[in-house]
Amino acid sequence: MPAVALQQPFPDLPQVEPTRHAIDTDPIVLDVRGITLVAGNDTSRQPLEVLRRISFQVPRSATLALVGESGAGKSMIGKVLARQLPQGFAVSEGSIRFGDHDLLAIDAAEHRRMLGRRLAFIPQEPMTALNPVLTIGQQFIEHLQRNGLDARAARTRALQMLEEVRLPDPVAIMDRYAFQLSGGQCQRVMIAMAFATDPDLVISDEATTALDASTQAHVVTLIRRLQQRCGTSVIFVTHDLGLAAQVADKLVVLYAGETMETGPARHILNQPLHPYTQALQRANPELTGPRRRLFSLPGQMPGLSEFPSLPGCRFASRCAVTDERCQRGVPAMVDVDEGRRVRCIYGASAPYPMRSPGEDRESLQPPLTGALSGNPVPFLSIQGLHKTYPGRNRRSPGLHAVKGISLDIAPGEFVGIVGESGSGKSTLAKLIMGLETPDGGAILLNGKPLGSSRQDNQRRILSIQMIFQDSRSALNPRRKVRSLLTQIMEARPDLASAVPRRAQELARDVGLAVDMLDSYPPQMSGGQRQRVNIGRALCELPQLLVADEIVSGLDVSVQAQILNLLLALRQEHKISLLLISHDLPVVRYLCSRIMVMHRGEVVEQGNTEEVLANPQHSYTRSLIRAVPPQDSSQPWPLEEQPI
Amino acid sequence: MTSQTLITPDPALDSAMRPRGIPSTLGRVLREPRVWLGLIGILTLIVTAAFAPWLAPHGPNDQDLLHTLLPPMWAEGGTSDYPLGTDSLGQCILSRLIYSAQVVALVGLLAPLGAALVGVPMAILSGYIGGRVDWLIMRAVDIWMSFPAVVLALVLMVALSPGLTNVILAIIVVDWTRFCRVLRSEVMVLRRRNYIAAAQLTGATHLQVILRDIAPGLMPQLLTLLSIEMGVSIIAEAILSFVGVSMEPSIPTWGMMIADGLKSVFSAPWGLIAPVICMTVTVLACTLLGDGLRQTLDPRLLERVRG
Repeated sequence: MPAVALQQPFPDLPQVEPTRHAIDTDPIVLDVRGITLVAGNDTSRQPLEVLRRISFQVPRSATLALVGESGAGKSMIGKVLARQLPQGFAVSEGSIRFGDHDLLAIDAAEHRRMLGRRLAFIPQEPMTALNPVLTIGQQFIEHLQRNGLDARAARTRALQMLEEVRLPDPVAIMDRYAFQLSGGQCQRVMIAMAFATDPDLVISDEATTALDASTQAHVVTLIRRLQQRCGTSVIFVTHDLGLAAQVADKLVVLYAGETMETGPARHILNQPLHPYTQALQRANPELTGPRRRLFSLPGQMPGLSEFPSLPGCRFASRCAVTDERCQRGVPAMVDVDEGRRVRCIYGASAPYPMRSPGEDRESLQPPLTGALSGNPVPFLSIQGLHKTYPGRNRRSPGLHAVKGISLDIAPGEFVGIVGESGSGKSTLAKLIMGLETPDGGAILLNGKPLGSSRQDNQRRILSIQMIFQDSRSALNPRRKVRSLLTQIMEARPDLASAVPRRAQELARDVGLAVDMLDSYPPQMSGGQRQRVNIGRALCELPQLLVADEIVSGLDVSVQAQILNLLLALRQEHKISLLLISHDLPVVRYLCSRIMVMHRGEVVEQGNTEEVLANPQHSYTRSLIRAVPPQDSSQPWPLEEQPI
Repeated sequence: MTSQTLITPDPALDSAMRPRGIPSTLGRVLREPRVWLGLIGILTLIVTAAFAPWLAPHGPNDQDLLHTLLPPMWAEGGTSDYPLGTDSLGQCILSRLIYSAQVVALVGLLAPLGAALVGVPMAILSGYIGGRVDWLIMRAVDIWMSFPAVVLALVLMVALSPGLTNVILAIIVVDWTRFCRVLRSEVMVLRRRNYIAAAQLTGATHLQVILRDIAPGLMPQLLTLLSIEMGVSIIAEAILSFVGVSMEPSIPTWGMMIADGLKSVFSAPWGLIAPVICMTVTVLACTLLGDGLRQTLDPRLLERVRG
């Protein structure tokens, strides 16, 4: 069985002799007690509690996951441990015991010696964590030499570790630069470096967030295997509750700098107690089981500046079951059972499943997003589309990014295109939008071929609009929301008088408050920016939206808001959607039809449920396997494949 | 009606919760002391230039041959008639300094604007269109920049004959490449942003894209470049008038005064020191303004400060 195979030693590799430290016998590696982090030393204002009395213990060889969305303060905990707090932040109370050291009291030199040797970090973005002008080998060896190995031993150790993270040809990797490796390979190097000094504790700060699903599965496998080999403890910082429950023994759920719930990972995933944890779990789309409507938590997490105005439970303003007791003071942590604690006035008996007042039984099931009329004429038809990017010189063959793709989209249909980065799915979107010219094949809009002439472009603009991937770069930071939403009307000066009214309608359509119209994108949260991004595409009521990875990088609850918004827009405006994503559960939630792309070709397509239930192509199967299952008793990740 | 039930507006989007303590750009700029110091220096120069006939105790070319090479009034032998003393022709140094500000202010304001007027369109053409146009413009800039700037300006001035317009023209011809080089790279960065593609997908013409989405993004760098270029063109003019090819001899400039002061530096050092101080302070003011603007307007530096 593959899951067992992971735990077997590797006879072909030189065994790492664990150099255990003095605290070997101590069962608790890290003991954090009542840490409060305050910001702003102004005497005028009362100090702002960024973290409020956080406590957790990490036993030897165990994995603890810190779960929370952006702004929850989970990365701040790592920064406290690394002493990398931003200016003006300080720990005001509490203690951190690491082995036999008081981590807050030891002097800077000793703390520095401890970092890297006994306390290691795996960063979120491996590409930027590696020095671009040094080779992997130089950095790795320097890191080991700083920790007391001589040059020869450091080189041996580095090679051994690179082999252990299953990088192909470690000797060659040592001479490469970071930009010559893929994101997944860089992350493997970072993992090898973190574990190379045989630390007591490794903190993985969103180490898998920037990677696509199957690379994420590889990385998780690696961390787990090294952890078992060396007996290391791991703190896994993530925003993904499902992933956390799979990799960790214990969870700490954070919200706005406060612990909301702690306990054994599986129990929390199977039966979350705190309303926030419940909301998180119900906001996560699933790959298996019955389709159910995602719960989208209203609003957004309060920012730092709002903390002082929240005297009671910081979640109260978004909680469906709140009452006046929540405002009176911070609810105490209640012991529930077997190590489970929850910070809620209801204790273990918060109403479940949590439901907002307007939600009735029908809306619990999301609408199926097939074609609207009975016998639909395809509205957009793509026939044998080809695109090759030329190589650098005549000898190199170039990149055949899209190889003969055909696709029909009927009115009201939501179609998903799935594939990993480099599978050609973004190129396909650019071809449809006319941002690239195809080398072969045809695009038919309402039966008429769509070329690159002026009239054709005008026709395209009125019928197809694109929602761009990264809302930060897709919205001009110097335009107001009002001008962004109605950007398309600028090309038609005769409509100028209709602009203010249309801006208001669009803001309402995408769920933005009208007074947001005068703000600029940098002042908004990620979810709000994505709403503007969608609203802009909706301005002329196109028949088709092309959405390229629009929810990757968003928090789970914001993602649920956006997904539900798209469903609501379909119901209201009868739009079709071409969703490009690497996230299978998201595609399953939205799309009735799925197309799996691999190296520029469609390897499988059909009804979403059928394809996911009974995948025919091995690539589809490997994509499905890479998704952490909702049922945490299933072993995951199942097996390891080379990158 | 349907839309209200389907799409729940985000309650957290009240105006009260929106801005997270980010001060407006103008507020940030005006809170920077370097911007203040620079602005004060440049305004002083402009006021001095505008009111020169009222501020100066003597005419710029009035000679008092009985009192040549007088020391400043606080030194022994100085008189309050000539607060900073006189030069070898008995001309009042303070008055000449004040009248010189006219040329300096005109050159310092007009030359950068002219250079921007040439350089910015070239930068936008080069960065926006790219390809062969970019290649052509950038090779022209390369060749241009491989000439020593001072020599090129000197040659131009000799060919053009002295005069204010020609000085400004010579500086523009030499310095437009600075604007082109720096802003071209900025245009290229903006050009690759998704919001430019998004604007094109809304059917905007190239001119609309440039005016609405690219030009505003260039403003911070342009303002910074302009204030730095002010200092550079003031120095360039001083170099030209130092070698005597800038203005007619009847119009005083600091460069000319430095050249004159140099001849009698051992007997009357103030003839040299005074214009040098004026030059230094003025150029420093321009540099401070440019530095302050760069710090407060460049979004990349901003991100780092905000953490």
